Amino acid sequence: MTASLPLPENDAGDHEFVAPPLPALSAADAAASAVAADHADSDTVSEPPASQEPDAPATPAPRPPRKRPARTSAARTTAARTTTPRTTTPRTTAKRTPAKPTAVPPPPPPPPTPASVAAARFDTDPAPDVEATAAPEVDAPAAPVPEKPAPKPRAPRKPRTRTRLVRPAEPEAEIVVEEPEVALAVVEEPEVEPEPIVVPEPEPEPEVEPEPEMEPEPGPQPEPEPEVEPEPEVEPEPEAEPAADADLVVDALPELEVDVDAAVPALRLRGVTKTFGQTRAVDAIDLAVPAGTFYGIVGPNGAGKTTTLSMIAGLLRADHGTIEVAGVDLAADPAGAKRLMGILPDRLRTFDRLTGRQLLHYYGVLRGLRSSVVESRTADLARAFDLSDALGRTVSDFSTGMTKKIMLAGAMIHSPRVLVLDEPFESVDPVSSSVILDILSAYVAHGGTVILSSHGMELVERVCSGVAVIVAGQVLAQGTVDEVRGELTLEQRFIELVGGVSDVEGLEWLHTFSD
Amino acid sequence: MVAHVLRLRFDLLVGALRGDRRRAARMILGLVVVTAAVVGVFIAAARLRGVDLAVADTVTVIAGSALVLGFFAAPLVGGLDDQLDPRRFAVFGMSSGAVAGAILLAGVISIPVLTLIAVGVAVTGLWTAHGASGPLTVFAVVLGVVTCMLAARIGLALAGLVLRGRRTRELSGLLLVAVLVIVVPVVVFFVSLEWDGAVPSALREAVAVLSVTPLGAAWAIPGAALTGTLTGPLLVAIGTVLALAALWVWLVRVLLTTTERPGVGRERAGLGWFVLTPSTPTGGIAARSLIYWLRDPRHLVNLVIVPVTAVVIVLPLLVVGVPFEYIALVPAPVMALFFGWLVHNDLAYDSTALWMHIAAAVRGGADRAGRLVPVLLVGLPLLAIAIPLSVALHGRWAILPALAGVCASLFLTGLGLSSVSSVLAPYAVSRPGDSPFQQPQRTNGGLAQGVVLIGALVLSAPALWWGWLALTADVSYAWVALWGGIGIGLAVLLLGVGIGAAIFNRSGGRLMEFVEST
Repeated sequence: MTASLPLPENDAGDHEFVAPPLPALSAADAAASAVAADHADSDTVSEPPASQEPDAPATPAPRPPRKRPARTSAARTTAARTTTPRTTTPRTTAKRTPAKPTAVPPPPPPPPTPASVAAARFDTDPAPDVEATAAPEVDAPAAPVPEKPAPKPRAPRKPRTRTRLVRPAEPEAEIVVEEPEVALAVVEEPEVEPEPIVVPEPEPEPEVEPEPEMEPEPGPQPEPEPEVEPEPEVEPEPEAEPAADADLVVDALPELEVDVDAAVPALRLRGVTKTFGQTRAVDAIDLAVPAGTFYGIVGPNGAGKTTTLSMIAGLLRADHGTIEVAGVDLAADPAGAKRLMGILPDRLRTFDRLTGRQLLHYYGVLRGLRSSVVESRTADLARAFDLSDALGRTVSDFSTGMTKKIMLAGAMIHSPRVLVLDEPFESVDPVSSSVILDILSAYVAHGGTVILSSHGMELVERVCSGVAVIVAGQVLAQGTVDEVRGELTLEQRFIELVGGVSDVEGLEWLHTFSD
Repeated sequence: MVAHVLRLRFDLLVGALRGDRRRAARMILGLVVVTAAVVGVFIAAARLRGVDLAVADTVTVIAGSALVLGFFAAPLVGGLDDQLDPRRFAVFGMSSGAVAGAILLAGVISIPVLTLIAVGVAVTGLWTAHGASGPLTVFAVVLGVVTCMLAARIGLALAGLVLRGRRTRELSGLLLVAVLVIVVPVVVFFVSLEWDGAVPSALREAVAVLSVTPLGAAWAIPGAALTGTLTGPLLVAIGTVLALAALWVWLVRVLLTTTERPGVGRERAGLGWFVLTPSTPTGGIAARSLIYWLRDPRHLVNLVIVPVTAVVIVLPLLVVGVPFEYIALVPAPVMALFFGWLVHNDLAYDSTALWMHIAAAVRGGADRAGRLVPVLLVGLPLLAIAIPLSVALHGRWAILPALAGVCASLFLTGLGLSSVSSVLAPYAVSRPGDSPFQQPQRTNGGLAQGVVLIGALVLSAPALWWGWLALTADVSYAWVALWGGIGIGLAVLLLGVGIGAAIFNRSGGRLMEFVEST
């Protein structure tokens, strides 16, 4: 889906890069004039006009390609690897420009020419984007360093209290403005940050994140800028859908302007309740997981995470509420909804008298795949998960980690849209964990959704783009990771939400060894 | 070109004795055995010369039919490698007719066919001694030999076409079981007949039927010539040879113009039963159930206990003094009933692994049907062996249809009721990995057990009644019992599978809660 399009040719048949005409107003001026205008909060993406000054004259259009922050570092790297063909839209590159450490300027006003018209005037696609995989839109000359802080400003999408995961989508406005320059200047942008810009990516999510990953230094810089969600992209979802072929500049614009409602979240829970006898294990939770995200569900033991995930997977019936998987109601069309999901449950057995190969074959055949397809995918999965020599052994001889890996492989074998994983990294060694993370990040980068529950807060903080904290059957916080954690680390915030650590007094007898 | 192929075949034959010492020794041992068998055939033929015409005819026809059947089935069952596979001649550019003829001719130079020719010579000597005309007998024997050769070639070609990718241990075992299922009753039947120097009437009818089938027509010609009913067997024999020859040429053409399915490689090696079943959810569940039934001690114990129970049950009856003929008829229906009852709680044996079926939204029909396959695969052969044995012990072969009908009814109704009970009312069983004799704590255990058992008996009451009538009153009820029993059994089975499927589709959550609580 990200095949790079051929470079346009001019009449002579040359792949000549012809700069599009500049807009009447330079970016800086436009930005300055827009300061007094609306949206103070949409600054995250907009680059300060001042920083643009130097760029504008230097290169008419070399707006650094908008860097799309990959959701996770792994996603970023994979995006970098895989998005070379995608980083063609100058527009997307433009989005990244705002990586300025200084105050976040308000987005510039829309250009005089409508986006579609301006795009249509372009002669060529910014070929350079392709190679400039990570062409950070940040103006290399302008501020190589700012990359890091830039992401931060961008990252703040959190301030909004909405439960929807706000994708810090680049404000459409600034992108529109930058387009003219970007198209021309994109070539020059050196990849400052290795993260793949993945600019043209259809999935908006990755773009959102790039900021945080950008900085090599950890995010100690707090986002000073107010979280200004770029107003245009209120909901990240809309970008997801239309961003199918973000390679073309022409398409990029419209996709940004798609209204939010067109987005279908990968998973939506409304008022889901489950009662076991007297206890309410899950108490009217509402969740909305956008498509193409890495979503984590955290909570203390016995909070109802596994119950929730079992209900999502269709293994348990909810007493009240509705569950929709990619728009398909689980109660109305269970077969259709389950076809879209791949499940890795926790604490449930598997058919361990089969060999590894037979088990994967069983997973595939149950899902209706033909045996030849299953066999080839089994080989691929075994290679990816490093299980090739274990395929001939009975699953009951596997270690716990290998069992988890093979069950995860079985959950993926029918290439679902949504992966629902219950504690996928429990009892898995770090090497395998990183391999699994790479695979899942690539999966997310290509539009899949992963919903996992975990107890490892650093993992969730590092990997996930959205998180929900469930305590005692209720969702105490949900949103993007930065939203939820605010100023603290995720672990501290989690402990704070759950209720703090109990005092450790009263165990004096433990210190007197009774031997 | 034909000469080249003949030469090639001869070299292959000689080459079988070269190479690995142990293999050569085995070949030589086989040769010795075959020679001894041929000598025995000659002796038997000599002995048959002085016997009644009907007996000689019977023996010839039956032996000939068995030979033709064996030549056809051996490549399919035994997985023999075809030395003259038509596909190997594909690169030489010969026409398919030329290849077919050359291979057929070269097939003469092989141990089985040479043995067959020797047997044919013995048969010729036998019948000429009885007075049949020489040329006709030779012609008949030639027809018989050619029929066997064509049957073998066709068997090899079919094995190469259909079974190449699926040749696994499981398949060989399955085919061997099928052969046993066919052979054992027949052998039992023959052994139980009383000869007294004359051919039993039942056998005479069987021979008369075989004489006009492709299997035995060629071998029946000499005897039929002597008794005057020549035209039937002659026409059928000639027609068979022509038809088989045409089929063989067509198969050669197909083999020369198609290639093997690619990718059938090592990957299929480790799949076991999954290779044999179709790649549908039903097939997958059937394969997985087969693997579990044949490996899991919990199931194995169930499987073994049933025949033992069936036999043990007759002991009290023996003690009591029930006549032996009636006792002989008891084990088979008891086995059928318990085999049908065995799967009444099959779902609970999966324990929490059932989540895979529910998360994949497997259709209820696929799940129910797949779970029945292991029991069918084990029960049918055992019943097919037990029924003739029982009837042989009973003494009156006319009762065979009634016994078969009763067993079919009990078996199939049991399966149908079990399909419903395993989703409607499963109860806790020993967990995977536990000892099969370790019963878990149960609160509502045995209702399903009793209901299925009694229900199968009740639903089979008509078949049982007809069987009883056939036994005591009128033997003609035997056929009524057969068709009635099969009909009732199939109806209950289909109904049960359908209802069970509907219940399964709607109660995924309830079943998951059940398995998680056991």
